Amino acid sequence: MDWQDILDKSSLFLLQLTNGLTLGSIYALIAVGYTMVYGVLGLINFAHGEIYMLGAFIAYHLVSAYNVPFFAAFGIALVVCSGFGMLIELFAYRPLREKRRLVALISAIGISIFLQNLALVIWGAQQKGFPSEKLPVFFSSMALTLGDININYLQVFIFVLCVVLMLTLHYIIMRTRIGMAMRAIAQDARAAALMGINLNRVISFTFAVGSFLGAVAGVLVGVYYNAIWPTMGYTAGIKAFAAAVLGGIGSVPGAILGGMILGIAEVFGAGYISSAYRDGIAYAIMILVIIFKPTGLLGKAEVDRR
Amino acid sequence: MTRKIVVLLLLLLLPWIPIGDSMNYVLRMATMSMLYMVLALGLSVVTGFIGYLDLGYVGFYAIGAYTSALLSAHYDIPYWIVFLIATLTGGVGGLLRGIPTLGLTGDYFAIVTFGFSELIVLIIRNEVWLTRGPMGITGVKGPSFLWHTLSKEWEYFYMILFMLTLTIVVIKRLQYSRIGRAMLAIREDETAAEACGIDTRRYKMLAFGLSASFGAAAGSFYAHWMHIVHPDMFYFWESILVLCIVIVGGVGSVSGIVLGALVLIPTTELLRVALLALAQWSTLAGVTFISQDIVNARYLIFGIILVLMMRFRPQGIKN
Repeated sequence: MDWQDILDKSSLFLLQLTNGLTLGSIYALIAVGYTMVYGVLGLINFAHGEIYMLGAFIAYHLVSAYNVPFFAAFGIALVVCSGFGMLIELFAYRPLREKRRLVALISAIGISIFLQNLALVIWGAQQKGFPSEKLPVFFSSMALTLGDININYLQVFIFVLCVVLMLTLHYIIMRTRIGMAMRAIAQDARAAALMGINLNRVISFTFAVGSFLGAVAGVLVGVYYNAIWPTMGYTAGIKAFAAAVLGGIGSVPGAILGGMILGIAEVFGAGYISSAYRDGIAYAIMILVIIFKPTGLLGKAEVDRR
Repeated sequence: MTRKIVVLLLLLLLPWIPIGDSMNYVLRMATMSMLYMVLALGLSVVTGFIGYLDLGYVGFYAIGAYTSALLSAHYDIPYWIVFLIATLTGGVGGLLRGIPTLGLTGDYFAIVTFGFSELIVLIIRNEVWLTRGPMGITGVKGPSFLWHTLSKEWEYFYMILFMLTLTIVVIKRLQYSRIGRAMLAIREDETAAEACGIDTRRYKMLAFGLSASFGAAAGSFYAHWMHIVHPDMFYFWESILVLCIVIVGGVGSVSGIVLGALVLIPTTELLRVALLALAQWSTLAGVTFISQDIVNARYLIFGIILVLMMRFRPQGIKN
């Protein structure tokens, strides 16, 4: 093995690492939505992946059909998706809050199927992509070139945006009144209600924030891979859920860590082991974590609730 | 009782009603509905009896279909042996999946079962040397009994009718047996059931194995009826469709599930036909806002059904 070989191998490694971090920060964004809802309601919000998909489609639709500038479309998609998240909670989960948890889970699956097929009806099964001439120019220009490794500004943008959003989220959860209310509900919803916390308002807010982050991830993925299709939320949703489980469901830092690990594992697994089983890596990690360490990396042990 | 005999007699006579060319179509619909009844009854052993949400049922359906198709493609053995092996393979699969998931509760069980079935379909799609992957296995022979090979629609109709009757008898017998009561106790309160001396692990494993066997048996029939197996036949949607039948019918109610399949499966078909017509009309009329993929959107209705059922009638139409 000569120097050139080592250099090639290590630059491939670095390239994979950057791709892994980009993908990982996107998974982290979605995973946070799962983990927050699970924290306050104890519900796997199956429809979360669909919010992510809708975010991508709404931004795409605004950009390609109505010529809305990219960042404006991005913003509108986020607001609309937050609204969707709140509506879903209002119609499909809130009336079932007192029932067994599986009832709400089935309702969530129903919403997920509904939204997926709705997107299929409106936009068709064919893959769509953002028209490249309408994206900001700086996305495709190179930020860094090291030998064979090219990192473009889009990757930098995704990574920085994710970090900023996560820090903001951390601030909201830890330092604001509504964040404190969320944490209180996560500990004990009944007691929190008795202390005068408006459960419905806080839960709505949780859904809005989670959906906002999910939609950010959707638009970013749509731009990054230049591909949007109606079932994209299904695999991404499950992978992000796997990330949330890996980090310890209910824990926001855990979701971020889990997302990063999963993104890197997926890219490296596809690069070095088998690209055909790319999706299988996330499923396998999820199953193994649930079976052997259901509390995840950063989660707290939880009393069995059904 | 007399009503059931009348229904059975009517079913036995169905292929001989002289309605001409559309008979095969009607029979196919009836066969399809009964196939889904077998699937839904099998799923209800886990989802209804012990109360665990199984989102990966389609995995066993796929195992049964592929085992059956591969065996009859490579070896010259009688169909009933192929069928038994496929059913057993499914059952063993159910037990194997049961071992690691035995300790899981509620939604974790649901999500792990989902992961398992996704992995199974992924393996089927990628291990081309064994399953031919995305090419699928074509030319699966019709099931043969003694010297006769089934080929006509009414023959398949009777075969699935027989399978369904057998399934209903087994499920009914199970329901009112000691085992069935133990399983229901697990559904109501697993801790209390264990405290009453019920070996919950054993009964749960039994339910997993039994449920998976039914799924695989249905898969075997499906493969030989369609003469083809393909990874796309075993999408997650199928699990949801079967689940939807169980939910609409009411978990744990045999007649409810039969009724559920009888309503939902023909509805799917009608929707397919109606949406196809709509798509064709929109092409002719030049309407652009209706996408041609609307035909695939018939599952949309199942989403709505699931949400509405959970909201207004979580116990099902019959209970």
